[in-house]
Amino acid sequence: MNHNLEVTMDQRPEVVERVLRVVRHRGFTLTNMNMRLVDESVYLSLSVSSERGIELLSNQLTKLVDVTGCHVMQPAMPQSASA
Amino acid sequence: MRGADAVIKVLAAHGVNTVFGYPGGAIMPIYDALYGSEVEHTLCRHEQGAGFAAVGYARASGKTGVCFATSGPGATNLITALADALLDSVPVVAITGQVSTSVIGTDAFQEIDVLGMSLSCTKHSFMVQSVDELVPTLYRAFDLAASGRPGPVLVDIPKDVQIAQLEYRAPLLAVADEPKVQDADIDAARALIAAAKKPMLYVGGGVGMAGAVEQLRRFIKATNMPSVATLKGLGAIPHGTPGYLGMLGMHGGKAANLAVQECDLLMVVGARFDDRVTGRLASFAPNAKVLHLDIDAAELGKLRQPDVAIAAELRAVLPRLEMPLDIAPWCAEVETLAAEHRWDYNHPGSLIYAPAMLRRLANKLPEDSVVSCDVGQHQMWVAQHMHFRRPEDHLSSAGLGTMGFGLPAAIGAQMARPDATVVAVSGDGSFMMNVQELTTIKRRKLPVKILLIDNQRLGMVKQWQQLFFEERYSETNLSDNPDFVALASAFEIPGRTIFAAEEVEEALTEMLTSKGPYLLHVAIDDAFNVWPLVPPGASNSDMMEEMERST
Ligand SMILES: Cc1ncc(C[n+]2csc(CCOP(=O)(O)OP(=O)(O)O)c2C)c(N)n1
Repeated sequence: MNHNLEVTMDQRPEVVERVLRVVRHRGFTLTNMNMRLVDESVYLSLSVSSERGIELLSNQLTKLVDVTGCHVMQPAMPQSASA
Repeated sequence: MRGADAVIKVLAAHGVNTVFGYPGGAIMPIYDALYGSEVEHTLCRHEQGAGFAAVGYARASGKTGVCFATSGPGATNLITALADALLDSVPVVAITGQVSTSVIGTDAFQEIDVLGMSLSCTKHSFMVQSVDELVPTLYRAFDLAASGRPGPVLVDIPKDVQIAQLEYRAPLLAVADEPKVQDADIDAARALIAAAKKPMLYVGGGVGMAGAVEQLRRFIKATNMPSVATLKGLGAIPHGTPGYLGMLGMHGGKAANLAVQECDLLMVVGARFDDRVTGRLASFAPNAKVLHLDIDAAELGKLRQPDVAIAAELRAVLPRLEMPLDIAPWCAEVETLAAEHRWDYNHPGSLIYAPAMLRRLANKLPEDSVVSCDVGQHQMWVAQHMHFRRPEDHLSSAGLGTMGFGLPAAIGAQMARPDATVVAVSGDGSFMMNVQELTTIKRRKLPVKILLIDNQRLGMVKQWQQLFFEERYSETNLSDNPDFVALASAFEIPGRTIFAAEEVEEALTEMLTSKGPYLLHVAIDDAFNVWPLVPPGASNSDMMEEMERST
């Protein structure tokens, strides 16, 4: 399964490293990444893939002390359209 | 004042009156500031020992443990103790010296990227970039270590920051909001409990860490719900509580595992479905709905999807779940299971049977006692056969299972609770892993009692080789052990060796009544194993039990 995440973080030199470590260790493959530093905040968009549920990763990222927000983006095209 | 003086001042402001550590080049300004200060320092003889002493201190007292190490090898030696604290959620602040900021990244002498190295084995870590950050960072570190789910926090401080001048000002910390409990969640949890015919409480270390032991005991009184505990949860429920079946899991009691497999509601309190607890996860408590309470939201649904989950302070939630339950038939069934599977201490022969000895020890210990364990068969025997009045009285490396934990943790515990009787139960393999800390006992004149259970084997590994590797005993024979009593006496610690069951009672008395430290070296049969055992990959209902002695 592929997922997109938007993570906001306080700026620290190692903060991206922290996030990437968790992504790898919790069993997710990084497929795309974009990082911006605006004032004191870091904005990170991640695409990841894994057999594991995305909540496992998002919960662990939310738990990181420097992470101020973590949102799992809904897929743009839902698998099955419902009325 | 210098940054280094500010470090000591922050410690004093947090009521830290004992620190464990080992000096070196990059942390010398901090050691200089320590000299003659109000903060007492205990010199351990290896940074791993200092780290475990801080863990033992924290676990036995409920306060935050503090340890110091220098850059490079000092910091790398601390890492195992930090990993241990992470897996057991122990509040520790580790302060490491670092080379000066101007040379960081040049492979300077004793430079290691400690911040990078710590990412996977701390709750959080900092490298202080400038002296202005120093005091706020240290305050933050203490706050983080003890709040929410506790854990180790590392603060790496470059040498130039330690000697830079600053004006000391205590920062104001924003108080973090406690997670709010929704009334709807409480209602849902109450509905689950009320509907259960066969509910079971599964109690983990989170109860003790949260200071929620009283609330848990009141909950049990109100509901009469039968209960089991994890290795770290031992002590939360007093022995003799109706329906309490002791430890569950790989080496849990038979009644505990069978009852959990049969329950229709598993109420998980401050526990996390560790694989040593659940056995094969898919068949763990297969018919049970799950109610999961934990301060760490990331644990909810991580391994088993709960029917209702509440991320909150246990102290606040448990009282709201009290209610009388109509479960008398289930309670009777649990009591029958407990009676059917009582431990049997009648071991034939004249050799010392460790479970029986530990049971005796438990009965002889004064009220204010701490038992710290190492890792192996002896650790499981302690968990199975000793009783603890509170979680703070049983220190065991649960999550990481670290050999070498016991002796330094006992040192930390004795520093935290000087009047308590502190017993370190160790194995002949584990004891050698931090044996240098005997010097710390001598230097500090600590009355730590060491019960060394010697089977001349890496017993737990030997047991697995016997059961699952066709008795191919690869590198687990320790029959070339040193003379342990002579070794202890080199550190001015008296002791003796016993071989026969009939010597146990008197030897335990001698150990417990001796004034200072004491080593009781107990020779046991290498054939003894830990039973029951849930084999790897099996369900908790498939426990192996004692088999005939092979040879
Ligand atoms: C640091 C470390 N290394 C290796 C292990 C693997 N291990 C687990 S139990 C054990 C044997 C322990 O032997 P001993 O301390 O003599 O205790 P016994 O099992 O004989 O009671 C080993 C090697 C470990 N847990 N920790």
